[in-house]
Amino acid sequence: MSVETDPVEQLLPASLRAALARRELLLRRPVAGARHGVHRSLRPGVGRDFRDYRAYVPGDDPRRLDWRAAARSQRLVVRQTESQEELTLTLIVDGSGGMSYGEGTTNKWGRAGTLATALTSLALRQGDGVGLVIGGQGEVDGQLLEAAARRDRLRTVAERFVSREPGGDCPWQPLLATAAARLRPRSLVMVISDFLDPGGLELSGERFGEDEGEDDGEDRRADEALLRDLGLLRAAGHDVVLIQLLHRDELDFPWDQPRVLQLEDPRVRRPVVEGSGAGMRDDYLARLDAHLRWLEQGCERGGMLLVRSVSDDEPAGQLLDLLARLAGAPVDAVMHEGGGESGRGSRR
Amino acid sequence: MSFLAPLALLGLLGLGLPVLAHLLGRERPQTIRFAALRFVRPREPVVTQRRAIRDWPLFVIRLLLLLLLVLVLARPVVGSEAAVAVVAEPHDAVILLDGSASMELRVEGRSDRERARERLEVLLDALPAGSRVGLVISDPEAPEVSLRELADGAGQLRAAVDGWMESDERGPRPGGWSLAEALPRATAMFGAGSGARPRVLYAIADPTERGLGSLPPVVDGSVTVIPVPTRGRPDDEPPTPPEHVGIREIGWEPAPELDPRAVRVRALIRRHGGERGTLGVEAVLELDDEEIGRTRVELEPESEAQVEFTHTLTGEREGVRAQVRLVGRDDDPLPIDDRRHVWLAVSDAVEILVVNGDPSETRVNDEIFFLSTALANSDLGDRLTVRGLAPDQLEQRLRESGEDPLASVDLLVLANVRALDPALVPRLAARVRAGMGLWITVGDRVAAADYNGRYGELLPLLLREAVYAGTAPGRTEARSEGVAPAILSHPIFSSAPNRGDIDLDATRTRRMFLLEPDPRRGADIALAFSSGAPALITRELGRGRVALLTTTIDRDWGDLPLRPGFVPLVTGTVQWLAGVGRGGKGSVVGVGEGKTFERAVPYTVTTPSGEAVPVTPPDDGEAAVFMATDEVGHYLAEAGDRGSDGGDGDERAASFERFVVAVDARESETLPTPGPSAELSGESGTVTIYEPRWRELALLALLFLAIESAIRGWKGWQGRRRPIQ
Repeated sequence: MSVETDPVEQLLPASLRAALARRELLLRRPVAGARHGVHRSLRPGVGRDFRDYRAYVPGDDPRRLDWRAAARSQRLVVRQTESQEELTLTLIVDGSGGMSYGEGTTNKWGRAGTLATALTSLALRQGDGVGLVIGGQGEVDGQLLEAAARRDRLRTVAERFVSREPGGDCPWQPLLATAAARLRPRSLVMVISDFLDPGGLELSGERFGEDEGEDDGEDRRADEALLRDLGLLRAAGHDVVLIQLLHRDELDFPWDQPRVLQLEDPRVRRPVVEGSGAGMRDDYLARLDAHLRWLEQGCERGGMLLVRSVSDDEPAGQLLDLLARLAGAPVDAVMHEGGGESGRGSRR
Repeated sequence: MSFLAPLALLGLLGLGLPVLAHLLGRERPQTIRFAALRFVRPREPVVTQRRAIRDWPLFVIRLLLLLLLVLVLARPVVGSEAAVAVVAEPHDAVILLDGSASMELRVEGRSDRERARERLEVLLDALPAGSRVGLVISDPEAPEVSLRELADGAGQLRAAVDGWMESDERGPRPGGWSLAEALPRATAMFGAGSGARPRVLYAIADPTERGLGSLPPVVDGSVTVIPVPTRGRPDDEPPTPPEHVGIREIGWEPAPELDPRAVRVRALIRRHGGERGTLGVEAVLELDDEEIGRTRVELEPESEAQVEFTHTLTGEREGVRAQVRLVGRDDDPLPIDDRRHVWLAVSDAVEILVVNGDPSETRVNDEIFFLSTALANSDLGDRLTVRGLAPDQLEQRLRESGEDPLASVDLLVLANVRALDPALVPRLAARVRAGMGLWITVGDRVAAADYNGRYGELLPLLLREAVYAGTAPGRTEARSEGVAPAILSHPIFSSAPNRGDIDLDATRTRRMFLLEPDPRRGADIALAFSSGAPALITRELGRGRVALLTTTIDRDWGDLPLRPGFVPLVTGTVQWLAGVGRGGKGSVVGVGEGKTFERAVPYTVTTPSGEAVPVTPPDDGEAAVFMATDEVGHYLAEAGDRGSDGGDGDERAASFERFVVAVDARESETLPTPGPSAELSGESGTVTIYEPRWRELALLALLFLAIESAIRGWKGWQGRRRPIQ
């Protein structure tokens, strides 16, 4: 029972940990950490791998003189090595009501916690700092935003996911603004959300007009605002990874029946929609497909990595896929092919 | 109001179903908290408003429709008061159905006949299995179903009753039997020895005098009579039927004081029942379907009033079809008696032949002086033709072949005449039977033995002997005898216009004939002596009437002719005997009764509907009888052998016979009369008879269905039209 109550055990089962045991969280580009780490640094520094030679200038550590090279070139040459620096991983998690969907292991919030703790675990194992900020219930929870490489960070992160119930709306603008202000340079920013309905708080209220077309415009503006904010992060030199966590129901809309459905907005922003499932399905799938394609294209344009995962897929596979993508694996495997079935994980 | 199937009312709970479907059913769709709600667009934008009822009128109508259907299924009934006792063990059941005209009475929109049909249905359903069932309808022409097993008998009964009730020609009509008259036919159906099974007679009839009221309390044989009233409970007082108005009698008389051809038609209108207040009734006299006059009377409840029309006939015709009918009584519950017919005739002279048995040179001593003087001064004076003959002359003329001297005589008076030649008496008797009146007054020349021997069949009572008053033991001090007050109920006096004038109290009679009592002869005493001996006694014989005055009509035996009441007495007697008021104008035949023609020749009868029906005598020498008298109205019978009779004018005139078929006034009597109460011995059950009301509700439901369809169709049409705009 104690296993169940331990948040780390709960979110990160032993099988998953075993699958991740020998993995590393690696970026394909240099990092700019403050301390020594495992990542290739933007700067030359103390490391094992040869990087370059340069002329000796007074003040260089004489130990770094390469005597053989000096002998060949008749001048003092300093050997530069690749620096191994730490990476700062900042998790920005959508804690809105939209993440609460799903039963048992397919619960989106639970899966978000699993992904977050797994990434935290990987990062901590290689000494990287991890920060976490959650937006939900209309507020920004930034207590864990300051990156830390302490071992207890894993527990606190896990506890944060277990103790918190997703609900309300996610204030994307304040959330990103809070995170952006305190990010370390060249951080790895992972945004975990379903990116289905990011309409922020500032959009609530009168935006539910009679005209649906206008409604669409408002929603689209909210999407664009989110991507723009994320693009600003990217422009600031951070690596931005969008982990789109979807539930199978959201992709397939399985209620293909004449029975009347009453659909409520978990973010408590939109009015209740009633109608027969069969009558709504085709329309819904077409709109969802359009949105997903738009999101992919937006990420591609903004140089952001979009990784889509479905909450009933194997978490280990998802993580491995995510790691591969971070390390530079080709994108096509995870490209969304459209339709309900194609969102399935790309690792195979 | 109660329900035969009250459990079906539970179906009213089902009324909530559409409400639930409209409201709650839509309240509980599958609720999903769906993150991608922004991509969901309901196809019908109104779907969220469905929770409210969109179409109130349609909804209400459907609810009402369901309500009505449930109510119909619950079989609502009213009048749970009527309960019929049914013998519980298998038995022989004969159902006696009242076919009389009063069953046409409409109460609350349905006639008693329909009610009787429903009661028959309930009764058939309630009879225990294994019973035998038979049917008798109290109409001689109605079908009858002999006793048979219930299984197949019930269907035959229903078919017979339905066929009878729907038949135009042989269906229900006035003139049926009263229930008591039909009883022997019903009890005969049980047969002689049907064993130990109980015999039960269910009499379905209305609670009137000729219906259940006519049933005797005890029926011979081991037959139990269970009255099944069409209205009300068997054991309670019958409910009061709605009032109706009918013409009870119609008559006419010449009005010579106005015009030689004037007639006065009188009709007696009766208001049956009624609560209070006066009811204005308008009556119309129509001659040959042409309205002649119209009058109005005010009627108190349960009273009658006479209307009188005066009219001068034109033309040479002998018979004029006249009818009096009530107008403005379209809602009368019993319309059969709202019109009555009569034949009018211009010539209404009464011919009286007086045979003077004791003529005298001195007029005062002449036997018929007082009689002829009284007649000359009576109201009838202008219409009477009085001829006198001596007995010898009468005998001689009767013996002569050729014209019958009595042919045109309405009344023959034999005043103190010795008995006629026995060979001539049968001709006299035949004339009397054919309608002639005969008035015999006695005197010294009348011998009891001769009279009894020759006129025995004519006399109201046989003569015993002539006695002097006061010769009875102990009566020596009085040598004369007075006359008791006239029996005003006798038709002689009852038709007299001023009955109070009949003052004969001071009459002193010294001598009189005593008579042999014989109840079988059906004689009526009109006037009696103070000792009780009959003074004027009458009898109807065939279509004729006979009167016998047991003292002289002159002053020989008493001073009767000197009394003030003598003139009205003579007038009334002559009127009654001569049939004034009924005679020459044609007779009245009740519906369904046979009309016997005067002569034994074939006749052709023209019915009110214009149909010519030939009637032939059954045997030579017997008069023909016309039976098809189902229709009320004027009938004209024409003897078919005019040519062969060689006839002159008189013959031709006599070859027509006019008669009117009328409804018996008793049949329109709807006064509630309770029947005998059923005494059931042994095991019995009670079946409650209800008056169903679900048919009306079913019709209403159909109406709502039509409205619902119309509304839906209209809305659908509007819905189709809208996209075009």
